[in-house]
Amino acid sequence: MKIDTNAIKELAEILDDTGLTEIEVAEGDKMIRINKGGATYAAHPAAPVHMPSDPTVPQPASNDMPIADVSTHPGAVSSPMVGTAYLGPEPSAPDFISKGASIKEGDTLLIIEAMKVMNPIKAPKSGTITQILIENEQPVEFGDVLVVIE
Amino acid sequence: MFKKILIANRGEIALRIIRACREMGVAAVAVHSTADANSMAVRLADESVCIGPPPGKDSYLNIPAILTAAAITGAEAIHPGYGFLSENAEFARMVEEHGFTFIGPKPEHIDLMGDKVTAKQTVKALGLPVVPGSEGALETVEDGIAFAREAGYPVIIKASSGGGGRGMKLVEREEDFAEQFSTARSEAAANFGDETVYVEKYLGHPRHIEIQVFGDEHGNAIHLGERDCSLQRRHQKVLEEAPSPILTEDERQRIGQLSADTIRKMGYRGAGTIEFLYEDGQFFFMEMNTRIQVEHPVTEMITGIDLIQEQIRVAAGETLSLNKDRIRFRGHAMEFRINAEDPDNFTPCPGTITQFHSPGGLGVRFDSAIYNGYKIPPYYDSMIGKLIIHGRNRDECIRRAKRAIVETVIDGVKTTLPLHSWIMEQPEFHSGDYTIHWLEKKLAEKEAARKADEK
Repeated sequence: MKIDTNAIKELAEILDDTGLTEIEVAEGDKMIRINKGGATYAAHPAAPVHMPSDPTVPQPASNDMPIADVSTHPGAVSSPMVGTAYLGPEPSAPDFISKGASIKEGDTLLIIEAMKVMNPIKAPKSGTITQILIENEQPVEFGDVLVVIE
Repeated sequence: MFKKILIANRGEIALRIIRACREMGVAAVAVHSTADANSMAVRLADESVCIGPPPGKDSYLNIPAILTAAAITGAEAIHPGYGFLSENAEFARMVEEHGFTFIGPKPEHIDLMGDKVTAKQTVKALGLPVVPGSEGALETVEDGIAFAREAGYPVIIKASSGGGGRGMKLVEREEDFAEQFSTARSEAAANFGDETVYVEKYLGHPRHIEIQVFGDEHGNAIHLGERDCSLQRRHQKVLEEAPSPILTEDERQRIGQLSADTIRKMGYRGAGTIEFLYEDGQFFFMEMNTRIQVEHPVTEMITGIDLIQEQIRVAAGETLSLNKDRIRFRGHAMEFRINAEDPDNFTPCPGTITQFHSPGGLGVRFDSAIYNGYKIPPYYDSMIGKLIIHGRNRDECIRRAKRAIVETVIDGVKTTLPLHSWIMEQPEFHSGDYTIHWLEKKLAEKEAARKADEK
């Protein structure tokens, strides 16, 4: 099999950007899994345990991306269903939203396909898109955070 | 063989199916509700997908979500476990329409057995004994009396739309028939909006005996002996064992062969259980369950056959790996259902398991998805585990069971373990002398005695 190093590099960047520990993509019979340490089969690793820290010990500087659980963010919009997320209305069309865009309540943010039905996901409130946590055509689970509106 | 199977269930049965997949080299996808995100099934599966919020109707019964999860994970087959969608013909049909394999029978067989009346007519035509009854609606008192004279008293009048014990009238003597018939009709109308009733011979002291059957797509059909599930409370099985302490080898072979022949004639595929009431040497068909059952390990222990793996093989179109002539029943097995319930009044007791120690040793199997610190969610069934015991004979099995029950530690919630210890001390249990009503009656006496003590 020809190794697509660019794809691996791209995936590794996504890992860093999102704070995920593992990404697996498959196209036809080719499959790439990128894993940042940890057990391969922990499909749902336990939530990180925050040990009570000694205030006198300096904490390691965190990455530029906050690792804090985004699902607790007040502006988080989570997926109401399991399905495949699409950022635009059709493959050639531009995405509904982009990072930094301001949107109004009721605007379509993206589409989730379940059982061949396209379900538009609407903005629950007006604001600015500060984070988009999914890729186009990414499978999403119920409760996955899709975007953050502030 | 499949490369990947999606398990549309939760709890111990999800874990049980993952175990079978592992041994077969098949990847397992666990779907789960948000309440089960920290479940053992999610942890041990190769992949997991959250399909909805806690209520079953939005997650484990959510057909679009389950099929979508199968599509995005690339699963080829779906195992429904028991409960939830396992006997939903519509689901089985949709699974097949979307290009997946349903690990279970054909949808038309689920439909056929799902309807009490057609099920009874079907198996009767195929040669199984059924409870004598009025064959459909009973229109007049005269017809009812004519039937009762032939079948013999007592008889029971039941609402056609009824169920769960409601709308039933027992008739012991002919002079009471007319009155009970009109009461049954008006109660049926009041309760179910349908005054149609039917009449059946009443069995006063039956046992619950069920036959495990298996068929494949190549015309093979076998039986794997019986399970005696006579220890029940409110129509819920409490303890199951095999072989039954009261069946003779002759009776076993006869009813087993009849059951296997029935599913062969149907062209039935996969695992099934035919339930009978047994009284005075006679069997009467009750219903057929078209899924794997909670108590399947009892049969596994005495036959040494992994029934879940067999289901998967048959669904993949393979031939049954079991040959009727090579099935041997070895020893005795019992299953104790452990529910998170108060053992005295049976109120459910969800909560956190603060301390857990699994029983072990020779002949001890513990099928459960609980662990230390596990939070039992309040949304689902209260069964949290099954203790399964095997011994060379019934006596050894009971002695081993007593030992294993006592060494099982589940702290933080109340469980039905003490109930099982108590059953093990009852002389009727040792002699095997009980009916499906025995446990409930005995428990009522025990509760009355406890209340008297408190005063």
